[in-house]
Amino acid sequence: MSVVKEGLWDNNPIFRQVLGICSALAVTNLVLNTAVMCFALTWTTALSCLTVSLLREWTPHRIRMMVQTLIIAFYVILVDLALKAYWPEMSRNLGPYVGLIITNCIIMGRCEAFARSNPPGKSFLDGLFSGLGYSFVLLMVAVVRELLGMGTILGVPMPYFSTLWDKWIIMVMPPGAFFTLACLIWIFRSIRSGEEEKSV
Amino acid sequence: MRDKAWYPVLYMFIATAFFSSILIGLARFSRDRVEANQRLSVEKAVLEALPIELPREASSLELHRIFLERVTGPSAASGNAYVLLEGDEVAAYAVPLEGKGYWDTIRGFIGIASDKNAVTGISFYEQNETPGLGAEIVQPPFRNQFVGKRIAEGDRPLGFRPAGSALEESEVHAITGATQTSTRVEKIINEDLAGWRSGLRSNGDSGS
Repeated sequence: MSVVKEGLWDNNPIFRQVLGICSALAVTNLVLNTAVMCFALTWTTALSCLTVSLLREWTPHRIRMMVQTLIIAFYVILVDLALKAYWPEMSRNLGPYVGLIITNCIIMGRCEAFARSNPPGKSFLDGLFSGLGYSFVLLMVAVVRELLGMGTILGVPMPYFSTLWDKWIIMVMPPGAFFTLACLIWIFRSIRSGEEEKSV
Repeated sequence: MRDKAWYPVLYMFIATAFFSSILIGLARFSRDRVEANQRLSVEKAVLEALPIELPREASSLELHRIFLERVTGPSAASGNAYVLLEGDEVAAYAVPLEGKGYWDTIRGFIGIASDKNAVTGISFYEQNETPGLGAEIVQPPFRNQFVGKRIAEGDRPLGFRPAGSALEESEVHAITGATQTSTRVEKIINEDLAGWRSGLRSNGDSGS
C-alpha cells in the first residue's frame, strides 16, 4: 500500500521529484495525445521495473545501467511498433516523443532506486503507480491547456469555452505548458506543506 | 563464475541478443502493415484533394478500392501529378506538395480540375505543425476555402491574405496565430503549382 501512495502522492515523479518534465511539457496540448503518452510511459515503467527486478540476482553490478537501458528500450520500441502498425495517426501525432520515453528519467530512476533491490511484484507495483502518478499530473495539465487554448476536451467543444471564451493561443504553444505545470506544482506543494505541518 | 572478467560481457551479449531478436521478429511481422498504412495515408490524401464524393466514414479498404478504380499514378504527361479519370478523360489532377513547414516537412496534394485552373481541394498527409495553430491546415475550415478558387498566372498562383480581409478569386485566408505555417504553406503551394505548370508546358511543347 505504501508503494501506491508513494508513487501517486508522497513521491509523485512530477511534482515531488520533478522528473520526466520534458515530455510533460511537450505532449500535453491535446488530452488524447497525452493519454496515449501516459499509457506508454506507465506500461514501460511497470514492465521495465518488473524485468529489472527479475534479473536483479544475475545482473553484474557494473553493467546494470546498460542492461536497464536495454530493457527500457525494448518496451518502448514495442509500443512504438504497435502504434505504427495499428494507430498510424497517433504515431504521427506523437512523432519522436514515443522513442524519447527511453530517456525519461522516471523509468531509469525507479529501476535504479527501487526495482534492482526489491522483489518483482513490489517493483511492478512501484513502477505502475509511479507511471500513474506521472499520468494524473500530465492529464491535468493537458485538460487545462486544451480547454483554455482550444475550448475543447478530447476534441469535443465545451460549452462556454468554445463560444464565448477568447481562446488563449499561448496555452497550446510550449510556453503554456510551463505556466500550467508551474501552477500545478505550486498548488500541490502548498497542499503538501500544509499536511506536513499537521503531522509534525 | 560471476566474478570472472568475461561474465559481464557474456551476460550483456545474451541479454542484447534475446531482446533484439524479439524486436526484429516483431518488426518483420508488422512491416507490411506499417508500409500499407503509409500507402493508404497517401491515397487518402490524393482522394481528398480530388472532386470525388467519398462515402462518409469510409474505411481505408473502401478508399483503397476507389483509388484503384479512379486514379492513375504520376506520369510525365501529367507533370508527375496523380490523375483522376472520368472514363478515358482526365477529370482532375492531384499535384503533390512538399516542403519545409515550421517544425517538420509538410506533404500533401492540391487538386486542380482538367482546365488546369480551378482548384478542387487540398489535403495534407504529413505535417507536424503546432496543434491548434499550424496544424489547423488539416482541418476542413482551412481546406474548404480552396475549393473553387482559380489559380492565377505567374509565379504566385494562390495568395494568402490575413483573416477577415477581402479576397480575390485566387486568394484564401491564412490561419490566425500561425503566421510561420501559413507563409510556408503558401510558399510550398506556389512553388509546387508553378513547377507543375511549367513542367506540363515544357512537356506539351516537346510533344507538339
